[in-house]
Amino acid sequence: MKTKGRGGTLADSSGLLTCVLVATLSALLPATVSARTVKDQTGRMVNLPENPHRLVSLAPNITEIVYALGLGDELVGDTDNCDFPPQATSKPHVGTMVNPSLERIVALKPDLALGTPEANRRETADQLERLGIPVYGVTANTLEGTLASIQDLGKVLGRAAEATRLVAEMQARIDRIENRIKGQPEPRALFVVWYRPLITIGPHTFIADVIRAAGGVPIGANLKGEWPRLTLEELLPLDPDVILFPKTESFSPSLKDFRGLPGWKDLRAVKDGRMYFVSETIERSGPRLVDALEELANILHPRQP
Amino acid sequence: MTVPATPRNVIMVSVTMFLLLTLVVLVSLTMGAVHLPLAAVWRALVSRGGNSEAAVIVLQIRLPRILLAILVGAALSVAGTGLQALLRNPLADPYVLGISSGAAVGAIFALWIGGRIAAASPLAAFAGAMITMVWVYLLGRSGGRLASYTLILAGVITASFLSAIILFMLTLLSTRDVRGIAFWLMGDLSVTPVAELRILAPAILLAIAGIYVLAKDLNVLLLGSEEAAHLGVNVARVELGVYILASLLTGIAVSTSGAIGYLGLLVPHLGRMLVGNDHRLLLPTAALGGAILLVLSDTLARTALAPSELPVGAVTAVAGAPVFIYLLRKTAG
Repeated sequence: MKTKGRGGTLADSSGLLTCVLVATLSALLPATVSARTVKDQTGRMVNLPENPHRLVSLAPNITEIVYALGLGDELVGDTDNCDFPPQATSKPHVGTMVNPSLERIVALKPDLALGTPEANRRETADQLERLGIPVYGVTANTLEGTLASIQDLGKVLGRAAEATRLVAEMQARIDRIENRIKGQPEPRALFVVWYRPLITIGPHTFIADVIRAAGGVPIGANLKGEWPRLTLEELLPLDPDVILFPKTESFSPSLKDFRGLPGWKDLRAVKDGRMYFVSETIERSGPRLVDALEELANILHPRQP
Repeated sequence: MTVPATPRNVIMVSVTMFLLLTLVVLVSLTMGAVHLPLAAVWRALVSRGGNSEAAVIVLQIRLPRILLAILVGAALSVAGTGLQALLRNPLADPYVLGISSGAAVGAIFALWIGGRIAAASPLAAFAGAMITMVWVYLLGRSGGRLASYTLILAGVITASFLSAIILFMLTLLSTRDVRGIAFWLMGDLSVTPVAELRILAPAILLAIAGIYVLAKDLNVLLLGSEEAAHLGVNVARVELGVYILASLLTGIAVSTSGAIGYLGLLVPHLGRMLVGNDHRLLLPTAALGGAILLVLSDTLARTALAPSELPVGAVTAVAGAPVFIYLLRKTAG
């Protein structure tokens, strides 16, 4: 197997060290049902093949991780939603994340499918299992969880060293942000999932965690659920410092439109023009999450000229 | 058109419909997101096994799904036929009467207290269907006798009330569960394991046979319940029997494959156009016709946007609603 020429000898040897460490640690762990039956991050028992080399990815973030680990060639299929890296779009598609075609997956003869409960249905995993295709699931609802998922997939796919290096790079960038924004006042940010009706994010979601890591405070710490609704009456007294919108194709109004919208136009953030689009990768638990984090940190804490 | 329900005709019609169903099944087996040559499908069917992916696709993915479509299609159509005869109302079917919604509430409730859709829920769905049926029956029973329009109204209102309950339960469940349930609610034949088919098939066939036993009584009931009583039919017992069996069929159908609308409404109409009003002939025609229609609909659902799959309930609704409106206008005019 060839390794990508990123990182120097130091990173390589530290990766090797971690690899050895992980191997020793996993040997010390209590024995599971059989040598290769492992519990994945979602708690399902998975019969892992010895050396998986025909992979099907069932979610865009997993596709990105697989490519970042240098396994793009071993990916034999992905979903219609997998749009990054660009090569991923030309892989054979198995359908959408929620309702892929089982027979398409079977026809690709994968030895391992990779999924996540954030994008896929449990039923899909169960069905594939019955058809003899093991499904390994990862899940993350924090920044830290994303790093753990990448590390975990690295281990499962025999790329622990690459994963360690990737995670270390991401961690370094996260640390740099943390250092830069340390001690600065934390703006209170409203993340607008949808504006009519206003749907925002719950305090325990992925996006809320990224906002906190970027040095902001997601408003509505007492909101319940993952995608709570907020009325404009409730929003007015909360008066966020910054309003964030996801940069998606389905979000049609321009930021200027909000200055004319009743209820919205009285908000301080709208009057001051502190409204921003953040890139979609903010909700993608993969390598590019740090890009979104940096982007958001620069919005919440603009660099002084 | 009316065909006399002689035993010979019943057998003839059933055999013809069965052959048609077999043909539809064979065609459906060759269609899917993966193109398989006819020869490969045939080899997979004949060799019964083997681990080639053609065998896996044909025997483990397409065939179980087609078998489930046959069972659910027959179940919903027979339930609809029975209810329409009982209520002497061509608008009656498990959906209009709220029985399906009751079954859905039961199934979601089972999931809520720790089950899984499509696994532990048939019993809860049956319970939900039964309770709803009894409730609608009591509501619709004005002055001690069953008034069919009151009953339909009671059903419609109960159905919309239960839909609100479903929405309420969905807002309380986690996003992950909701994604699965939303798909199941739209009608989805893809998730039932083969092992469950072995339990569901006899249950559905027995319930259909149970309604068939009452076929003659249903014929007499078409004259009106008083007339039927004069002619020696135990009206209360026939009503109870058909209600229980229709609830059972609906409960099983909804718990395995969600809300597949219009079959129970449409198929009895088509059946009457084909063979007339005699239930000894109409019931087998509806059972096999419902099976054929659902296999066709699901084949369309699997292939129209391949590799993505449509919920089969959307297909039956899109195809069924216009046909139903056409039928309504034709009978009215």
